[in-house]
Amino acid sequence: MTKLEAKNIEKYFDHDGQKLQALGGIDLKVNDGDFVCLVGPSGCGKSTFLRIVAGLDRPDNGEVLLDGKPVIETGPDRILVFQEGALFPWLKVIDNVEFGLKIAGIPKSERSEISKRYLDMMQLTRFAESYTYQLSTGMKQRVAIARALVLDPDVLLMDEPFAALDAQTRDLLLVEMQLIWERTKKTILFVTHNVAEATMLGNRVAVFTNRPSTIKKEIVIDYRRPRISEDENLSKYQQQILAELRPEVKANV
Amino acid sequence: MKIKKLFLNLDDVANAALFLAVFIGIWQLVFVLGIWPKISLPSPATVAESFANIISNYTLFKGIGITLGRLVVGFFISIALGAAIGFAMIKFKGFGKTMSSFSAGLLSFPSIAWVPFSILLIGFNDAGILFVVIMSSVFSITISTYSSIRNIPPIYIDAAKNMGAKGLSLFLHATIPAATPSLIIGIRQGWSFAWHAIIGAEILMSIVGLGHILSVGREFQDMGQVIASMITIFTIGLLVDRLLLFKLEEKVRSRWGIE
Repeated sequence: MTKLEAKNIEKYFDHDGQKLQALGGIDLKVNDGDFVCLVGPSGCGKSTFLRIVAGLDRPDNGEVLLDGKPVIETGPDRILVFQEGALFPWLKVIDNVEFGLKIAGIPKSERSEISKRYLDMMQLTRFAESYTYQLSTGMKQRVAIARALVLDPDVLLMDEPFAALDAQTRDLLLVEMQLIWERTKKTILFVTHNVAEATMLGNRVAVFTNRPSTIKKEIVIDYRRPRISEDENLSKYQQQILAELRPEVKANV
Repeated sequence: MKIKKLFLNLDDVANAALFLAVFIGIWQLVFVLGIWPKISLPSPATVAESFANIISNYTLFKGIGITLGRLVVGFFISIALGAAIGFAMIKFKGFGKTMSSFSAGLLSFPSIAWVPFSILLIGFNDAGILFVVIMSSVFSITISTYSSIRNIPPIYIDAAKNMGAKGLSLFLHATIPAATPSLIIGIRQGWSFAWHAIIGAEILMSIVGLGHILSVGREFQDMGQVIASMITIFTIGLLVDRLLLFKLEEKVRSRWGIE
């Protein structure tokens, strides 16, 4: 069943008075419970596309459909996890996690119950009363993921959430992310420039072209989970993706 | 670390005491050398006597009470008015642009220059003094409100909107808290402008208050009383800033992890 559909999404930016086309007509269908990774050369507009799906930016052309209904504004059914986490420094970890619930007017006792579950899941319980500056980058991203999951979104949008992490922490979170996906059955759109990361996470990988970007190729990865980064069988998929990606990156340099 | 913050740091107290001792020592020395006549520069002991005098006849406490009372009223009106104008500047972009240059001009406008205008417009009374205080501090609050909100990293607002905040809930749960660290700096600055303004206004417009005690000292050529009032003004300014506003700013900064 199609959960999310992007139809011919175009987006232009002003660049020194010139109109620059970032997205040249993105078409993408995402099924319910899909884990789709978006890879592409840097600056190709993957993040812009994700912001449009989140409803934080408007496309200049085309539309995004969620359950067949056009998306017109941002909202908690499509939560975006930002690369920098975007945690609120004025709130404790627990209040960051409960933010969306509080906005939704959910009473305190119910909020604590929900946040407790996800703090637990993300191994954050003992940091609940900390402020965000006291956390490592990896911990911050855990909080950002917990903050998204508590809202039980239809679609989870992740914009290079592990890009700033060290290799060990990233490997750990890549495995955890797969477990979260299996447990929650969420539909996930995950932007990354890291091909190995894409093959570990996605059951589909969409390769973006250079600007103005379109989706060049979709690669299905039907392989057992949880996948670990050392698994050599993934390299076959990685080669396939890199073969598509390489000419785009070259054109970009 | 936390305990150290709660109590006065002994090193700091010792340093302050030493500074004060040296200052009074130099003063005493200059007095003994007789460079100025005694009436122009009294000894520290004479000033202490004046202090004792205005304390024992309650002039000082009444003055402090009246001045701080006026100041608090004026300053709170400033905060309310300044914040309201600041929010309107955010809401209406054209107004914001114009008002921001206008406010910048008024920010450097000397508070004392409002006095003649206020006397003629409102009168030689409390309301006239309040007017000077408000006009001197409101624009600092206005500008700080405007720029604090404009400088919020957009990602906080995006994240809050994405999680469902809009309208009033966005304003209360994201905009205001995200702007708080720099809002507090603006409030501190506004307080200092208000403090300058009230003393100036009281010297010229009042028959009570700290500024008036100062100006009575001048009229009677009582340098002891002048210096005693000055020390009082200095001390109150310092205490309010350090014990109240600076503490507040530090609290917010430590919570955010800003060093």
